[in-house]
Amino acid sequence: MCAWRRLHGSVRTLRGSLLRGCLSSTAATRRQPGRCGGLTLCQRLSTGGALRNDFFKDLEDQLAAMRKKAADALPGSSWMPFEINPNLPPETADIVIVGGGVVGWSIAYWLKQKERLPRGMRVLVVERDPSYSRASTVLSVGGIRQQFSLPENIYLSLASADFMRNINEHLSVMNEDPVDLQFNHSGYLFLASEEVAHIMEENYNTQRLAGAKVSLLSPQRVKENFPWINTEGVALASYGLENEGWFDPWSLLNAFRRKAISLGAIQCFGEVTDFKYTTHIRTTADEEQLETRRIKSVKVQMPNSMEYQPVECAIVVNAAGAYSGKLAEMLGIGRGPQDSIYGLPVPVEPRKRYVYVVHCPDGPGLDCPLLIDYSGVYFRREGLGGNYISGISPEEAEEPDTSNLEVDHQFFEDKVWPKLAHRVPAFEKLKVTSAWAGFYDYNTFDQNGIIGIHPLISNMYFATGFSGHGLQHSPAVGRAVAELILDGGFKTLNLKRMSFSRIFAQEPMLEQNIV
Amino acid sequence: MLKILIPSMFMLLTTWTSPFKQLWSTILMYSFLVATLSLTWLAMPTDTGWFYINNYMAYDPLSSPLLVLTCWLLPLMIIASQNHLAVEPENRQRTYISLLISLQIFLILAFSATEMIMFYVMFEATLIPTLIIITRWGNQMERLNAGTYFLFYTLAGSLPLLVALLIYHSSMGSLSYLSLTSLPLTCSNLYANKLWWMACLLAFLVKMPLYGVHLWLPKAHVEAPIAGSMVLAAVLLKLGGYGMMRIMIILDPLTKELSYPFIILALWGVIMTGSICLRQTDLKSLIAYSSVSHMGLVAAGILIQTPWGFTGALILMIAHGLTSSALFCLANTNYERTHSRTIILARGLQMVLPLMATWWFLASLANLALPPLPNLMGEIMIITSLFNWSFYTLILTGLGTLITASYSLYMFLLTQRGPIPHHLILLEPSHTREHLLLALHLLPLLLLIAKPELVWGWTA
Repeated sequence: MCAWRRLHGSVRTLRGSLLRGCLSSTAATRRQPGRCGGLTLCQRLSTGGALRNDFFKDLEDQLAAMRKKAADALPGSSWMPFEINPNLPPETADIVIVGGGVVGWSIAYWLKQKERLPRGMRVLVVERDPSYSRASTVLSVGGIRQQFSLPENIYLSLASADFMRNINEHLSVMNEDPVDLQFNHSGYLFLASEEVAHIMEENYNTQRLAGAKVSLLSPQRVKENFPWINTEGVALASYGLENEGWFDPWSLLNAFRRKAISLGAIQCFGEVTDFKYTTHIRTTADEEQLETRRIKSVKVQMPNSMEYQPVECAIVVNAAGAYSGKLAEMLGIGRGPQDSIYGLPVPVEPRKRYVYVVHCPDGPGLDCPLLIDYSGVYFRREGLGGNYISGISPEEAEEPDTSNLEVDHQFFEDKVWPKLAHRVPAFEKLKVTSAWAGFYDYNTFDQNGIIGIHPLISNMYFATGFSGHGLQHSPAVGRAVAELILDGGFKTLNLKRMSFSRIFAQEPMLEQNIV
Repeated sequence: MLKILIPSMFMLLTTWTSPFKQLWSTILMYSFLVATLSLTWLAMPTDTGWFYINNYMAYDPLSSPLLVLTCWLLPLMIIASQNHLAVEPENRQRTYISLLISLQIFLILAFSATEMIMFYVMFEATLIPTLIIITRWGNQMERLNAGTYFLFYTLAGSLPLLVALLIYHSSMGSLSYLSLTSLPLTCSNLYANKLWWMACLLAFLVKMPLYGVHLWLPKAHVEAPIAGSMVLAAVLLKLGGYGMMRIMIILDPLTKELSYPFIILALWGVIMTGSICLRQTDLKSLIAYSSVSHMGLVAAGILIQTPWGFTGALILMIAHGLTSSALFCLANTNYERTHSRTIILARGLQMVLPLMATWWFLASLANLALPPLPNLMGEIMIITSLFNWSFYTLILTGLGTLITASYSLYMFLLTQRGPIPHHLILLEPSHTREHLLLALHLLPLLLLIAKPELVWGWTA
């Protein structure tokens, strides 16, 4: 029916244009002199007006308007008498994921993947920043490595690397382009000095036991493989042979997002400003009173507007990255008296890290892993044109201000370049072409991720605090959280040690790394 | 009769004049009193027939079980609604209770009507409070859609009924139940008479609902608040069945051939809606489709027009009313705690709420027609009478029973057994009010095992 109407309409317009072309200029055309902007192909040059032509054109327009009105009135059209903001989230959702970064969308994808029946659950992802200009995901260096000391981290990276190697099996959508992560399998090269070489050996054993393909290199081997390295002070090096390298975080984020939306997840751009919760006072085994809270609804504020929508939900997942601590504060965690249980905040806060893009034509070239020196400086190749990106973690005492994403170029001159040039002599001659800054969701407690439910908030799951490893762990973390929610426990990877209990027991789970 | 109807009408006055602090307890006690008084309806001397009160209202062994069910349900609805209405302002709470009470009044008048037009008017009148409850107090945006479907399906079915009743009245002179038995319309096989037959039954088939015209039911049940779901499942569907039973008398010779497609459609509906239940992700939707499934059997039993068919239909209506309402209450206890109706998010609850698991167990067993509960009694009688009519219906009804058992067990196992997700470990414990509510649903059901003669209808 619609096709017929369109055909009919097009025939009419064709006829109308033929008439217009053949006959002289009409009063209508003269009335709108600037319409075609000067000379056009069918410029009317005569001045007589034909009433007949006018009638047809008006009739045509009126009929088109009537058809449109009829189509809108019939059921099946999306016309509403009052305008509804299309970005407004639904009034109810089963699971609300706060934070639309790669971890949030990974969780959304896995939740939708694991629900047994289509449209079985309503999953809503709320992201504050529509352009992702300040999101940690897209500002990340994008590396993935298995060279950790904690087995959990190694397993997470291995599982994520496996996911990303077969990404089109998981995340391809019918009739859309396949996903290309631009995964450079160049590996990570850690250089250890004499003092920390024993830590590197222990880690190497842990990694091999966990299944990571890592090799230990002596300084001579390092010099053979990578002649552009200055091996002075290097006692041992550890090089990842497989599943290590870097990839494009934006592609991964979009792949997760596209697939999750195609499976039925709902996206909303807005900010979570408040929670409505119910409070229950329970008595613990030690006869103490414990107050637990259960979230009933999430208040989502629309960007640049006073409009908000309370979303009634069963579960909230906190994947807000650097701002997870602030989100938890809305529920009162961290705002109680100092020694009470509500006084212990979620120990995640933003930490600014700088990344500098340098151009060095005489640099290491294509065979360049992501080199991390024991002094803390790191760099990797970016593209094929002799560009490299580099950075260093600042000292605790010199943490930059996190209120903005301004880059301190002096930091490169003072802290990064000397160490970089010492390790790779070719970098003595380089030019900084650009730089950016991004936030780590820094876990101030032990710099490792927090996955699990909060003891005091009955239905808020956390997947945050990865302190720079969120991107590389995101596929496996998403799967883990989905298993927690839907299966009641971890099924593929046992990440029980990464739960909140270590924070409440004040037992940090620290990485024994050489940097 | 009047000792129940007049107090119900004055309950409206009580709702608006009680002090707010005592509103719920007053109304609860009042409605319990009315419900207890209504039990006297069940005491019938063994010479069956009408029990007259006045010219306009009467009850007989067919309508008294349904009347008692209606009166019994009001206190249950009040108990169930107390929690979610506590946050509303005072006048809105009073309005809600008034709607429930007015629904009860209309239902009492409908079931005790002696004249078909009175029944028809009350049948239509029950739509209005139900519509208001669904569209105003429902939880999701979809409630508007649900209300529209509910209203227009029922109205579209019942307008032909009005015309048919008026035709009958104008040709026969009376629509009183007493005289209906001696005034069948006509034996001729004119096409118009077949249309008239259809017009008489369509409203009730839509209300039951029959499989092809059942789309309003899942929407209305899911979007309604708990009291709305309870009254819809327990009583309003039975209005359709009751009306069918009453009007069958005048439809006599035509029904032998014309009922054929509807019996088959009803039986097919049992299987289809049962299969849909196995694929539902929303708990209330699952229970709603199971209602359609059970009522398909009831419809088939009524259309068969044998004594056993009618008896089975009536017993199944009463038993299903109590069971379905209990299941909706259980689903509501889940919803009030987790704010979600999705089944996969509320699993393994036996670990956290073990006593509620008992009620889930009993209600699921009742739903799958476990002997010796009256659900089985009804189903067996209907299946037997259908088998007597035609051997092949056994395939459909047997398959239907199998699917009913599988989805009831599926619902029980999925919600109660299995690993419990972390976000459910700290659920609010069950309230005494909820236990009371479910006990009051299931206790009558268990007591009916002992004396089903109360709900057998005429075949005493």
